[in-house]
Amino acid sequence: MEEFHPHNDEMTFNAEEAHNIVKECIEGILGKVDYNHNKVNQWTATIVEQSLTHLVKLGKTYKYIVTCAVMQKCGAGLHTASSCFWDTTTDGTCTVRWENRTMNCIVNVFAIAVVL
Amino acid sequence: HRLQGNDTILKCQKTFNNQIPKHNSKLYFFFCFKKYTQIVKDRMRSSSHEVHGTEPMDDESFAEFGKSEIFTLRTSMAKIRYANTYKMEPYRKFQAHLVRNKAQHILTQRLQETKYNGATSSFLCNSISEEILTAVKDMGFDRYKYVVTVLILQKTGQAIKISSRWVWDVARDNWVSAKCETESFVSLALIMACYYE
Repeated sequence: MEEFHPHNDEMTFNAEEAHNIVKECIEGILGKVDYNHNKVNQWTATIVEQSLTHLVKLGKTYKYIVTCAVMQKCGAGLHTASSCFWDTTTDGTCTVRWENRTMNCIVNVFAIAVVL
Repeated sequence: HRLQGNDTILKCQKTFNNQIPKHNSKLYFFFCFKKYTQIVKDRMRSSSHEVHGTEPMDDESFAEFGKSEIFTLRTSMAKIRYANTYKMEPYRKFQAHLVRNKAQHILTQRLQETKYNGATSSFLCNSISEEILTAVKDMGFDRYKYVVTVLILQKTGQAIKISSRWVWDVARDNWVSAKCETESFVSLALIMACYYE
């Protein structure tokens, strides 16, 4: 009966996998479009929701927090910093930066383990 | 030599049947012994792989063991295991309004007078996020993990959209955001608290 649970002792966050998932989501949604103020709302929501659905489909016992920032390219500076208080052996984060001619997109994924 | 878990249980049952009287204590002893055999079984799993030339195991669960499994067993042996407290809630639950006030205070205190500067902003961003993290930790909500994100954005007439979604425990996890705006920049702080046991 124990074998069906994922072994919590060996669980680490696979950042590469998350990176690939998020990158695919972004490219699918923002790949061929230019910045459009009316649609940005919809884009960010879709990116985040799709990334989240794919991450959950991995089937690991993790809580996920996905943050997406889409910014028009205007020569402005943007700084982000994050600090986390968690268990470094099981929890992790992944950041994906993507840009095209007219906009920048930054997606942060935080994964926090759930101990069953 | 190796010890099969099931054999041990049977042997123990036999020995105990001889010695103890027929009460509930028999069940109690059996229960304790089953736990013991489980521990012994785990230990035997790891040690049996260190010996070369053992015959193939009959038990199915043993057959799946490879190098990674031994490593995880070893680490699990080393990791501290806490007994169940049977506590489902934290003593002090995350109080959003307190954290929001505190975060807002930190932001305005540190950023109200400053001007946006490309060189120093990254350092400022880092230090603010650490300051907010320490402040939230000091508030003493137990059994919580935190993620603090701070954004500083220069104002040049561009638009930005920030959105977040999460998969978490709606009853116990919570989030707070604080904003500070000046002439040259906007800053946003997001604090997310996740319950864990």
